[in-house]
Amino acid sequence: MQAFEYASPRSLQEAIRLLPAQWGPTDVLAGGTDLVSAMKDGISTPQRLVNIKQIAELHRMTFSPRAGLHIGATVTLRELLDDGAVQQHYPGLIQAAEAARSEQLLNMGTVGGELLQRPRCWYYRNGYGLLALRDGKSLVPEGENQYHAILGNAGPAYFVSPSFLAPILIALGATVQLHGPRGARSLPVQKLFVTPTRVGQREHDLAPNEILTEIRVPYRPGVRTAVYEIREKEALDWPLAMAAVALRQEGGVLRDPRVVLGQVAPVPWPSPEAERTLTGKKPSEDLADAAGRAAVAQATPLSKNGYKVQLARIAVKRAILSAVQQGG
Amino acid sequence: MSSKLLGERIKRKEDPRLIQGRSHYVDDIQLCGMLYLAFVRSPHAHAEIKAIHSEAAQKMPGVLAVYTGADLEGRLGLIPCAAGMEGLKVPPHPCLALRRVRYVGEPVAVVVASGRYQAVDAAAQVEVDYEPLPAITDLDKAVSSDSPVIHESLGDNIAFVAKLEGGDWKAVESDASLKVIRQRLVNQRLAPLSMETRGVVASYSPGEDTLTVWSSTQIPHLLKTQLAVMTGMDEARVRVIAPEVGGAFGSKLNVYAEEGVACFVSRQFGKPVKWIESRRENLMATIHGRDQIDDLEIYFRPDGKVMGLKCHILANLGAYHQLLTPAIPTLTALMILGCYNIPAVFVETKGVFTNTMSTDAYRGAGRPEATYIIERVMDMVARELNLDPVEVRLKNFPPPGKDIVLATGVSYDTANYQKTLKKVLTLSGYKKLRREQARLRKKGKYLGIGLSTYVEICAMGPSSRMPAGGWESGTVRVEPTGKVTVLSGTSPHGQGEETSFAQIVAEELGVPYDDVTVYHGDTNQVPMGIGTFGSRTTAVGGTAIYHAAQRIKKKMARLAAVKLGAKPSELVFRDGKIETEDGSKSVKFGEVVGEAYFAKQLPPGLAPGLVENYVFEPPNYTYPFGAHVAVVEIDNETGEVNLRNYFAVDDCGRILNPMLVDGQIHGGLAQGIGQALWEEHVYDENGQLLTGTLMDCAAPRAHQFCWFETANTETRTPVNPLGVKGVGEAGTIGSTPAIVNAVMDALRPLGVRHIDMPLKPEKIWQVLRGGSPQVV
Repeated sequence: MQAFEYASPRSLQEAIRLLPAQWGPTDVLAGGTDLVSAMKDGISTPQRLVNIKQIAELHRMTFSPRAGLHIGATVTLRELLDDGAVQQHYPGLIQAAEAARSEQLLNMGTVGGELLQRPRCWYYRNGYGLLALRDGKSLVPEGENQYHAILGNAGPAYFVSPSFLAPILIALGATVQLHGPRGARSLPVQKLFVTPTRVGQREHDLAPNEILTEIRVPYRPGVRTAVYEIREKEALDWPLAMAAVALRQEGGVLRDPRVVLGQVAPVPWPSPEAERTLTGKKPSEDLADAAGRAAVAQATPLSKNGYKVQLARIAVKRAILSAVQQGG
Repeated sequence: MSSKLLGERIKRKEDPRLIQGRSHYVDDIQLCGMLYLAFVRSPHAHAEIKAIHSEAAQKMPGVLAVYTGADLEGRLGLIPCAAGMEGLKVPPHPCLALRRVRYVGEPVAVVVASGRYQAVDAAAQVEVDYEPLPAITDLDKAVSSDSPVIHESLGDNIAFVAKLEGGDWKAVESDASLKVIRQRLVNQRLAPLSMETRGVVASYSPGEDTLTVWSSTQIPHLLKTQLAVMTGMDEARVRVIAPEVGGAFGSKLNVYAEEGVACFVSRQFGKPVKWIESRRENLMATIHGRDQIDDLEIYFRPDGKVMGLKCHILANLGAYHQLLTPAIPTLTALMILGCYNIPAVFVETKGVFTNTMSTDAYRGAGRPEATYIIERVMDMVARELNLDPVEVRLKNFPPPGKDIVLATGVSYDTANYQKTLKKVLTLSGYKKLRREQARLRKKGKYLGIGLSTYVEICAMGPSSRMPAGGWESGTVRVEPTGKVTVLSGTSPHGQGEETSFAQIVAEELGVPYDDVTVYHGDTNQVPMGIGTFGSRTTAVGGTAIYHAAQRIKKKMARLAAVKLGAKPSELVFRDGKIETEDGSKSVKFGEVVGEAYFAKQLPPGLAPGLVENYVFEPPNYTYPFGAHVAVVEIDNETGEVNLRNYFAVDDCGRILNPMLVDGQIHGGLAQGIGQALWEEHVYDENGQLLTGTLMDCAAPRAHQFCWFETANTETRTPVNPLGVKGVGEAGTIGSTPAIVNAVMDALRPLGVRHIDMPLKPEKIWQVLRGGSPQVV
């Protein structure tokens, strides 16, 4: 690891002033569970770290039926899991956060950091960059692509978005607050994620001198949610596929279904096809199965990841069935 | 021995300090003026070293020196291999690579710095010019005549060929009524993955000319001898201490490059030196386990009786021999018949060099491979003949008895395989499970029931058959205050013998359990020893202590007899007293201890003091056995295997502490099941390690398992007076085939005979959709 400067500001304004306008020389440190290992591997080589854990306003979590749930960026996954209001009103969020599995990651990792973690693509992690290029050509299509994207994979990006939380947050209509030198802006969570099309572009709509400060999740009574994920090793690996579902039942039929897949594309992947399949229909196993099929109908698996298509289909199906079976 | 202590669930003496984090592992040793090491390792599986540029690193802050293989040549000895097999090729194995690297992670240079991070940062600045050579990782290719050769001076990549043959093959091969199955089984490579990685502190004192080494090792005494040889020091001036060791599973039954280098550097600077292995180094450069290809021919009668077994083993040894590397696959051959009386056997084992890290002893060490082979054989025969696997096993068991000799020439101490099988069938409700399976199959659901009836070879072992002696030493010293010190030459690292050894001695001497303190792992404290491995610690080391306690008793009984006017043979030791059976003549234990130390009225010929050492030489190995049943459900849509139930009946001989036995069984099962379902340590065709972090390398965790239903039978061994056989590896040995048999049983309606481990969901899914499992 190369030597670096360490700053630990107390205010958001001070923190933003410490960040330059380009990527590379400075990184924001929250839980550090991803950043520090990337630094050890020489994937990130910042000259300065700006720790944002001393900024009190980033560590608040509030809930009211009118404003919904506001989660400060440095709230840890463990704090999220232990929160009574989250447990009562956002069971899907609990399910998603539990996917972090490791007690150490839960205790150290933050909600903001979970959304902004870098992809697990092993080419990226071994220094080939986000687009896994060698001699201007991606190594992925003919390489070890069993964990890569099956949707949104026309290239040049083939990695998958690694966030566990993003799919359910998108399904719940959440937004993020971003603060930069020119003030604050708000984005739907879906818009936070972008598929890079050229070298140097990141996978988040976030300027180098912006800080993600808060996640806002609307309160929608009567909405049922579920997250279903499937892994290969059931250990500290990331899921091969996951699906988050939010829906209502009205008069025996499904209303406003949201179906968002994770770990299958360079961004969290909403499935309007699955949503159309469900809308206005009476829930059943066959319907859930049809929605699963619809969700992967456009999938374009690479040479070694056809299995992920099956898993994504089943994850969608089971998330729907699980959401339907829940009370509330 | 009637007893109050032996056989009880006594809590471990070592746990309070370990659970509270108040004890000391190697990394907790801090010495004044300590220097730190970081190793530069090869990124290539096979390459010529053209040049090493260390100038930039030398100028980094805190850096004192950079050494390469050339600097050490002739000044630090080679890494030893203790396996002495006929015709074995032993390539030179320097601590730092010379001219050529042969696996990814091989140490090429070492940086010495005054800070740990300074050393690591400087190591990243050492530039090595390599000229890559073709890497050899595939066993079939490595043995082909046109393969590049890893050690050119050896001619080819075959380190040894060993044959084991028994029985009348002519009769088998000419019997036209026999059926034959041919099958290849792959036993994949695994990482031992102990919680604590390796680590060493070496501290040379120039004035005294002594070297003290703290190492996370299973074999402090053997390591002391080897480090003396490697450094050229007088062995009497070398002391090795194994402090708390956080697990090893065989991986620390070794002498490693880093241990040698740390001693060398400490002697160069006259200062203490520390090296602690990172997890990545641990996965890359600590020995691996398993990695065999087994080509089988099974000859059997239509009634299920197996008449002959042929096996050609290709054993992946890695690039060099570590301490026991070539010896491990020979245990597979030795135990290949398991607990079955198969009249003819033929095993040819080829040890093969590849551009990978060395394999060596990993929990079970050669025997899990054997058990996997023979237990899969039983199920494949049952499947072929449409018989219940229970029936096939019963058809092939020898009758219960002692000293049963099989075609391999192995003589099993005691056997009653029918008993453990019967017990596990009852425990699991086997017949009911079969009925449930039939019901579910009609509904298109896949439930699988898998059996494994294993036997293992333990309590290693008779010195005549061990590479470096198989005895063990035990010392019992009653202190002048009456407290008891026990010293063992074994080196437990999590198994809990501080507890079981104290149970043995307290029981024998009739003193309180809390009055007994057990020490091990310090060569200056314990006069001699071999170490902890091969399920030997209690059966061999505990027996030595038992005998030492008998000698103490003999001496104390003589002293007490004089005092009481009784015969020594009339006296018993109980409740802190030495007395006649009826209690009419009685003296306090402490009073007799006083006599021994004050030495005022010792009987003629009796020396003062109460310290006795005993070195136990086991007359045979022991052969624990057991029967396991696994129940799995297959997820039709994803191919995931859900382990629903696991039943284990193990016979490890006499049980001294059921809680310790349970602990060993549970941990062993987790590792054995892990191999069947998740774990594999994978190199790509270029020799790059693909599973180099804990994200890629599946280490199973508690939530992945069901509750294990365990039970025991107790068939005492005649090999030692305690009757104990050993239990450290049983779970790992027995469980892997039970799981694979269960999954194959579940998939039976699909007509697939075998899928290689690990049984990852994707492979199963390929089978479920009618494809071939082997493409994955």
